[in-house]
Amino acid sequence: MAGLVLLVSLFALAVAAPLLTSHNPERQKLSEALRPLSPAHPLGTDHLGRDMLARLLYGGRLSLLIGFLAVGLGVVVGVPLGAVSGFRGGLTDLVIQRLADILLSFPGFLLALSLVAILGVGLRNVIISVGISAVPSFIRLVRGSVLSIREQVYVEAAHAIGQRRTVIIFWHVLPNAMAPVIVQATLSLGFAILVAAGLGFLGLGVQAPTPEWGTMLGEGRQYIFRAPGLTMYPGLVIFLAVLGFNLFGDGLRDALDPRMSRV
Amino acid sequence: MSLFRQYLAQRLLASAVTLLGVSIIVFLMVRLLPGDPAQVLAGLLATEEDVARLRADLGLNKPLHIQYGVFLERLLHGNLGRSARTSQPVLEELKPRLRATLTLAVVSAVLASLAGVAAGALAATRPYSRFDYVLSLATLFGVSMPTYWLGLMLIIVFAVHLNWLPAAGSEGAASLILPALTLAAFSVALIARMTRASMLEVLGQEYVRTARAKGVGETLVVARHALRNALVPILTVAGLQFGTLLGGAVLTESVFGWPGMGLLLIESIFSRDYAMVQGIVLVFSTLFILTNLAVDLLYVAIDPRIRYT
Amino acid sequence: MRTHWTRHRLSHLGLVALAWLTFAVGAGPAGAAGTFRIAVGVDLDTVDPAQMTTTTVANMVDYVIETLTAMSPDGKIQPWLAESWTLSPDGLTYTFKLRKGVVFHDGTPFDAKAVKWNFDRLKDPQVRVPIRAPFPIKEAEVVDASTVKVTLTRPSSPFVSALSWTTSAMVSPAAADKQGNEYKNIVHAVGTGPYVFKERKKGESFTVTLNDKYWGKKPTYDTVVFRIVPEAATRESLLLAGQVDLIVLPPIADVPALQRNSAVKLLLAPSDRTIFISMNTTKQFLGDVRVRQALNYAVDKKAIIQNVLFGAADEMDAPMAPSLFGYCKVGSYEYNPAKAKQLLTEAGVKPGTKISFHHPTGRYVQDKEASQAVAGYLREVGIEPELQTMDWPSYVSIINAGPAEKSVHQLAYLGWAPAFLDAAQQVLQYWSGYHPPAGLATTFYKNPKVDEWVVAADRESNQDKRKELYCEISKQVWADAPWLFLYVQRFPIVYSAKVTDVGSLPNEKFSAIYARPAN
Repeated sequence: MAGLVLLVSLFALAVAAPLLTSHNPERQKLSEALRPLSPAHPLGTDHLGRDMLARLLYGGRLSLLIGFLAVGLGVVVGVPLGAVSGFRGGLTDLVIQRLADILLSFPGFLLALSLVAILGVGLRNVIISVGISAVPSFIRLVRGSVLSIREQVYVEAAHAIGQRRTVIIFWHVLPNAMAPVIVQATLSLGFAILVAAGLGFLGLGVQAPTPEWGTMLGEGRQYIFRAPGLTMYPGLVIFLAVLGFNLFGDGLRDALDPRMSRV
Repeated sequence: MSLFRQYLAQRLLASAVTLLGVSIIVFLMVRLLPGDPAQVLAGLLATEEDVARLRADLGLNKPLHIQYGVFLERLLHGNLGRSARTSQPVLEELKPRLRATLTLAVVSAVLASLAGVAAGALAATRPYSRFDYVLSLATLFGVSMPTYWLGLMLIIVFAVHLNWLPAAGSEGAASLILPALTLAAFSVALIARMTRASMLEVLGQEYVRTARAKGVGETLVVARHALRNALVPILTVAGLQFGTLLGGAVLTESVFGWPGMGLLLIESIFSRDYAMVQGIVLVFSTLFILTNLAVDLLYVAIDPRIRYT
Repeated sequence: MRTHWTRHRLSHLGLVALAWLTFAVGAGPAGAAGTFRIAVGVDLDTVDPAQMTTTTVANMVDYVIETLTAMSPDGKIQPWLAESWTLSPDGLTYTFKLRKGVVFHDGTPFDAKAVKWNFDRLKDPQVRVPIRAPFPIKEAEVVDASTVKVTLTRPSSPFVSALSWTTSAMVSPAAADKQGNEYKNIVHAVGTGPYVFKERKKGESFTVTLNDKYWGKKPTYDTVVFRIVPEAATRESLLLAGQVDLIVLPPIADVPALQRNSAVKLLLAPSDRTIFISMNTTKQFLGDVRVRQALNYAVDKKAIIQNVLFGAADEMDAPMAPSLFGYCKVGSYEYNPAKAKQLLTEAGVKPGTKISFHHPTGRYVQDKEASQAVAGYLREVGIEPELQTMDWPSYVSIINAGPAEKSVHQLAYLGWAPAFLDAAQQVLQYWSGYHPPAGLATTFYKNPKVDEWVVAADRESNQDKRKELYCEISKQVWADAPWLFLYVQRFPIVYSAKVTDVGSLPNEKFSAIYARPAN
């Protein structure tokens, strides 16, 4: 699948960053500012003379890190909550659902933005904010799966044997609910990168001089006529990364469960 | 009580609870910040007296739930506090910006819906054709594209190079075009995908085959039966997308200097005007909740299966 | 593959072609029905003359309110609302003869009573006047309807020059409680200027309309709209797209291209603005002169001017701009990171020490980028600056916090432009009487000798002796280095080639009141 190819290349480039470039992505050299492509700087330099290629590569590491940690946070918090909510029902379900609703009542990007406004800027807070925005969709998803699986025979059987509720949840129910979670996680990764970059673009995400694709895009804005590469390249890689995750996620969904709703 | 009424009551209650929850969170938001809440809300430009006055006004020495009660009561009367930056009431500052954002969001939503439904429907009637394939690619691009990047590129091409459209600001209808296009990009893709999917599903169903067997013209079949029944999930997605548009407006407004709530939010965050941030977040989420509620009710109202009870 | 440059050149060729096309077709008129549109980067923080701090804001408000004296394009002071004046032998009392037949926009007469009211307000401690120091007014006395006697608390040679600055501008006393105004805070300025305050949309625009009863030469345009556009690139787009007629501070990277673009005219106006990093001498190790000197050696100013400002600045060789009265060349801190590191070690600063670095954005040319560049240099000598970006009004309130114990900032990127080109205003920065919150000497620098000289120079009526004193001050301050001395900024103004008669004043103001369509 095209998605897989894209992603694997992305990962490879990010991981191999130190091998592919000897430049320090944070080291400025003003005399080399805004240079066009050259053998020394395959993608040119930015406004402070930093090598663009290095910044993109190391920025890739950062974006992937943010994506994984944020979505990881979402999964670690959202999945158990969703499972408990679906399995137990009743008051627990109601409370957790309302909590998810509240989180979801902040449209997309806005939740992350509000959290950053409170927590402050910087890498750690970006991860937390994006992570929290990812939680409710996992809650919803897992709850839905759990609700349908709960009625299955083998669950009833386990219950009949006398296995404890928590054991039932974690041993029988969850593993079968995993498929949609994996798909959602992949798609969320793309979204997480987009949101983190959006925060960076506004200047509210990862701070300079750390290279992050969104922050680079925002900084390059004013040089758009003189050195359009400063905005072109970061934007392009964000696009490709998100595309990769979306393609891969779509493909996964097709492979794992063709009956899942297509949206 | 009819099923619909029951559902309506249920949803209204749920929305109310959610709204309440949001207000609690927003209330707590400011108190989570380091430092004295009165100082934080009064802002950097306030004098000692201003801060003291605000502290008394907010009743910060009283227990938390009483503070919240005061907060809620004020909220219901439209009092969202005063902006730390301009000393004007938050609601007053918000009104013109809200209008601007809503204008942008509505235009984008209409654009996205029309274009998305049309494209998706067309693709559904020609599944797996070249058009369909191109559309799939385009929609995939659409949902993966960073809106801020798209906006910047549109400015370069249309405003600077071709000089057809304004680069920034909000004067005249022409200045709405680029921001609306940028904002609509993500939603168009989503709506197109949804339309195609649900129409394909419908097109495969029994009654459509029956209609075809009866000899009704192809286009008629599509238009009357398929689209009408596919409309329901499409509407749902479109409605929900409106909410996403509100959120996405923040970035688009930043790129185009569109004087809406999103841009104000960013400015307020930078100037540490937390009273304003609080107000904007409340308004955004209230709008979103109301939109979802409306979509839910519309969904139920349109779906013929529930109407006749 | 095309390089940036070729692509760039092609794009601009296309741009010029389209601009001419627009010209020919007549699309985008330079102001429909006589409107002149200007895009600036900062919003007005106030329209109250007494509270003026920002030159660009004063520039806009100058369309509406006027001062007793005014600065001409060559920097000389000329009579304006005051036709002439005399000074008493003891140097303490000025007698001003006012221009007759001038009315405020609300119809009330501009007379000695109005002048007295404004001066009383200027010296009133209840009114917030950030730049009060140049106006040591003891009392203003009405002699007759067009004569005012102003007695100072001490002799002050720059007083008449100071009167050309917007802080001392005249507003109508009758309007002080109307249209939302309060005595302490004017929000709707009613003045005597060629334009009348029409409307202000916070964060968006400021509109003024022609004053038909203006006493002087009438401007060409009926309406002037100032658009607040914080992003430099957006300002440039607006100008290139013909949607505004004049902008200030375009993205500095585009200066070379704008110079070549025949659809616009670029003015790299010389200015009086020194740009520096203020070092709060009461925080951490910044009290140690070796550290401050080290930071001066750590930064390569030439490189920043060349690559971050694209040549739109000149290196500082004294603690003030060469255009000031009282300037004398002192020396330079050459780029020497080794020496910087050595001094830091001597002073006991450990590598990796954190320090906060506040800077505004959109206020000075490349403020954010230059701050980043400076931070980069500091990192190379072992200091870890934590950059804090702020918008201008918040930034000002942070650095204006005082006294020293209450101050927050450590390093702050700042500019200082003596509005009337006199060293007297520059040296306020080194005078302990100007520490926040009274003023903006954000370094909290205190040197008793310098204090003495500052006060003496202000009283000195012999201009040569004054110059000497300022030279002494300059030398001492240079050695004490309370600032990281960066450069003297140029002020780029770009305007449509379709208009003409646009100029500048050496105190960073664009002069476009008498702009007219080029024929």
